[in-house]
Amino acid sequence: MKLPKIDLEELTKFKEKNFKERLEFIEFYTDWLKKKNKL
Amino acid sequence: MNFKIFQDKIVIDRVANELDDFVIRFCDILNKIRINYVIVSGYVSILFGRSRLSEDVDLLLEKINFDDFRKLWNSLSGGYECIQIKAPEIAYQDYLMENTAIRFCRKGQVIPNFEIKFPKDEIDLWTIEHRQLVLFNKNILYISPIELQIPFKLFLGSEKDIEDAKHLYSLLRKYLNIELLNKFINAFNMNEGFDRYLK
Repeated sequence: MKLPKIDLEELTKFKEKNFKERLEFIEFYTDWLKKKNKL
Repeated sequence: MNFKIFQDKIVIDRVANELDDFVIRFCDILNKIRINYVIVSGYVSILFGRSRLSEDVDLLLEKINFDDFRKLWNSLSGGYECIQIKAPEIAYQDYLMENTAIRFCRKGQVIPNFEIKFPKDEIDLWTIEHRQLVLFNKNILYISPIELQIPFKLFLGSEKDIEDAKHLYSLLRKYLNIELLNKFINAFNMNEGFDRYLK
């Protein structure tokens, strides 16, 4: 089975981007909880 | 949990929890409108019985055109909503086509949600191409090959990711294509991590 090309430098950038997106989501979610008065 | 690994499918039977029901119902819509997808990352371990919670389920969607995306959007709109945006044109053009995830949740719930992306590189395309069919309590799901998931989780490298990799390897090692697993471990440069955490 042929393996896909794996660019570790690009994957590291992706990992950081993904982490940033998750932090943004947590901010969105905590704002949502506050608005819903669940905290 | 009972599971059996066959050449062409994996059969899992266990009591489904709330997250499982969320995944099954969402994927049922994708299956019905015949859009190729693959579940990757944390939920793969959870599906195989790992005991942990997850706020989101990562899903790669084949790169579809906007008309097909609108069909998907409309099919989901009965019970789900996109968290970030309300216009499918923006979700498609400004998010998916720019390699940014969109999140779908049950209406008014936010968590759990599906984090959906288009394939961004050869690995993602390979994952969709080689996705594995799972019959989970007779429901159809498609997941990433485990031989890729284990080294990829090691590469991500958080405690949670390493534990996910450990769970998959410990549970499934005798069923894995070891040659393929080793190739991915080498490609991700994870030999040391594999020896340290999984052996």
